[in-house]
Amino acid sequence: MTPAPLVLDGLVVGAMLFALGLVGILARRNLIVMFLSAELMLQGVSVSLVSWSRHHGDWGGQMLVIFVLTVAACEAAVALVFVLQAFARTGRLDSAAWQSLRESNLPRVVDHELPASDAEALQFPRLTPAGVQPEIDEDEALEREHV
Amino acid sequence: MSPDGGLSIVGTVLAVAVGCAAASLWLLLPRGESGLRERAARRFGMLLGAVALGLFVATGHRLGGVGEEATFLVVSLVAVIGAAATIVTRSPVYSAIWFALALAGVAGVLLVLGAQFLGVATIVVYAGAILVMFLFVLMLAQPTGMASYDRVSNEPLLSAVAGAVLLGLLTLFIGRLSAGPPSCCAVPTKAAALAGANRPTDESDEADAASEPAAADTPNTPALAGTPSAAAGSSPTTHRPSPPDMLARDHVARLGGELFGRHLLAVEAAGVLLLVALIGSIAIVSRTPPEERLEARPRRASA
Repeated sequence: MTPAPLVLDGLVVGAMLFALGLVGILARRNLIVMFLSAELMLQGVSVSLVSWSRHHGDWGGQMLVIFVLTVAACEAAVALVFVLQAFARTGRLDSAAWQSLRESNLPRVVDHELPASDAEALQFPRLTPAGVQPEIDEDEALEREHV
Repeated sequence: MSPDGGLSIVGTVLAVAVGCAAASLWLLLPRGESGLRERAARRFGMLLGAVALGLFVATGHRLGGVGEEATFLVVSLVAVIGAAATIVTRSPVYSAIWFALALAGVAGVLLVLGAQFLGVATIVVYAGAILVMFLFVLMLAQPTGMASYDRVSNEPLLSAVAGAVLLGLLTLFIGRLSAGPPSCCAVPTKAAALAGANRPTDESDEADAASEPAAADTPNTPALAGTPSAAAGSSPTTHRPSPPDMLARDHVARLGGELFGRHLLAVEAAGVLLLVALIGSIAIVSRTPPEERLEARPRRASA
């Protein structure tokens, strides 16, 4: 009994999403990006579950994905609150800001030779000023202060 | 992947693809470099990533067909490219936007695989609710400019290798599923259950074993008839429903019947979980840090 078509492809796509999420959660240091990577791993598992559901021709996998969605919503709510609290304490979204919680036999993470600032600053196009400065009505300026 | 002979070639191509994927991720992840070197590395990494994706597509012989499979190829490429861009983009805001693209791809994959409701629910719940929440938090918490921790990764080489090894092992295992009779744990129980349903003797003993596949065999059974005896009694047939059965017009109705029939208790538990998460997050976020609480106390006394 070989799997139905598209089942294997779905499993491969699920494995790719899971592996990419794993790399993200291991490598990135921004708490929110780590969290997005965890959600990517959940998505990979969901795709795999739906593939197995198609393979077996029953609803079990899809049921499980519905509950995965529910738990992901709960997890996002609670974890984002934790991220906000962590940001309020340290002022950074850096996971290394909490490295005093590490095991005592692990070395300290030190940022070495960072470039002073990102070399490629964003260059936005600017319009050349032309004409004369228009007269600005005081009342109108009060109404449209952000324009 | 052909069952014999081609497996070693496929394995070699797979190894090359996985190696390209690891190198590409390592080049793309932020490593604290700047300027021209980083841009060159990023371009080369994108090239390697495209090569890896092409090799992956080449290993699956079914991909690249027409109709359903071509659609699947396109949406899965969108999902995987979006996922890769999510984890390698420097700015977390762009990262969240790429994640939305990956979600769109995943929703397309679920649609093609025959889970219409889940595809739509993924868009609504993830892209509509969770991702917007992420963006809110990013707007609240993102310092101006690009932070240093967004430009450096923890051990980019080791984590890329770890992810590539995991991906290679998973893909090899999945490839073996198509080659021989699957040695997966789910299949023997299915066969046993089918054999049990075929046998007319000792019906009561087999009812428990046959209950799950039997209930799955008859999606037309009313929702609350999911008890083992009723399901086993109403469906003595042993034929497995083909996948197009799940693509029927009343797909969502059957899904709802299954959800609120056999899984009613789980739905209740999920509702409780949502409520607990809501209350918990409000309780945590309304707790102020200790130094602010000292300031806030006299103000509350005066008010």
